[in-house]
Amino acid sequence: MVRAKILAQFIRWEWALEYRRSNGWFLPVLFAAMVGYLVSLLVRQPNPVQWLSLLWITLVFSALQTATRSFSASPSEWLYLNQLARPSELLLGKSMTTALNTVFVAWTGVFLFGLWLGWPRPEGLDAFPIWTFLTSITLGAVAMSTTLSFTAALSSKLSRNTGVMAILSLPLLLPTLLVAMRSSKLALLGEPWTVLYPNWLGELALSALPLALGALLFPYLWRS
Amino acid sequence: MKAWKLLGLALVGYSLYAGLMFEVPRLVILNETIRNLYFHVPMWFTMIALLGGSLAYSIRLLRSGDAGQALDLDRDRQAKNFAEVAMVFALLGLFTGMVWAKATWGAYWTADPKLNGTAVTLLIYAAYFVLRGSVDDPEKKARLGAVYNVFAFVLMIVFIGILPRMTDSLHPGNGGNPAFGNYDLDNGMRLVFYPAVLGWIFTGWWIATLRVRLARLTS
Repeated sequence: MVRAKILAQFIRWEWALEYRRSNGWFLPVLFAAMVGYLVSLLVRQPNPVQWLSLLWITLVFSALQTATRSFSASPSEWLYLNQLARPSELLLGKSMTTALNTVFVAWTGVFLFGLWLGWPRPEGLDAFPIWTFLTSITLGAVAMSTTLSFTAALSSKLSRNTGVMAILSLPLLLPTLLVAMRSSKLALLGEPWTVLYPNWLGELALSALPLALGALLFPYLWRS
Repeated sequence: MKAWKLLGLALVGYSLYAGLMFEVPRLVILNETIRNLYFHVPMWFTMIALLGGSLAYSIRLLRSGDAGQALDLDRDRQAKNFAEVAMVFALLGLFTGMVWAKATWGAYWTADPKLNGTAVTLLIYAAYFVLRGSVDDPEKKARLGAVYNVFAFVLMIVFIGILPRMTDSLHPGNGGNPAFGNYDLDNGMRLVFYPAVLGWIFTGWWIATLRVRLARLTS
């Protein structure tokens, strides 16, 4: 059903295009940086849980920025892509590039938060548990991006889609956000991966579910 | 008039009378508010049944265009009206729950998983109506609405399934709080509760079909 070669070519193209357009990958990164800086000016020395909540709020809106643009190609581009790839390949390819972009933006956000707000240091920990924390953030970002890719595909079909994208996505993102928040909170408190992995599996499941649903529904969406 | 409609009305009538007049177990804190079981919980059953109906109509709408034919737009009308009536039942469930919460928990709203699940369901379907409202072309409106309806319904069910496992809850049936299963000894409550659920589902379904017929006449 899905041809790997087409998918690989698709992703290569997306990267070339994103890199060439200065408003491509740079825009959401800049957005994350600006919101992060704003937060660092407004909030002084947050406790670890506040730090994490602010981080996730920043990440959600940055991911929204990233995903909104992912289906914003011109009609002629779409016509060409439709001849090249099947609908499910199109959705999968777009979801994968959106996921890569979102992860990149999330990492930037995390490091800027660390730089401007300081790394949170829960009691009894010598060092910031960077690897388990980053895994939780990365899986959470991927899970957000698969839901967002589908709602972006939906709202790209609307002529007046400003705001609708956010309204459609935010309630659907809640399960993902709760699992991701819990997983990264446990990581921040220094839990080892043996405690964290059920949450990571949850994040993976929440990435796969919208993809599977999307693959079923996308052909109907694309026919119009 | 079909028999199930009359049955629905009769069961609702019975549950209203029996719910207020019959004996109930006397429990501390809950006291007489235990009767809310007959009025609050059937609202959620009805909401889920009507949303399930709406989902089925959305799937049938999408399938109707499979063989390259025009979409069966009547299915869209049904999906929309069922979702609308389901939201009325969601609001009724919310209000009956809030009144009960004030009496037993001391507050109308708490950050309880059940309440969050309700809030998310209302937001998701509000978004469904906004989505439909922002498209003018009826065919496109029907298709986009149906796609979102299917996608959102599945994620909503996952959410309602996941959420109670993430945090503790004060709600009966969660976090070790007594719920219906603990009243096994009191079969009197079952004799009112089950008819109430069935009666409200039939009545809700009837209201939705009436709205569909009204929409057909006015279109």
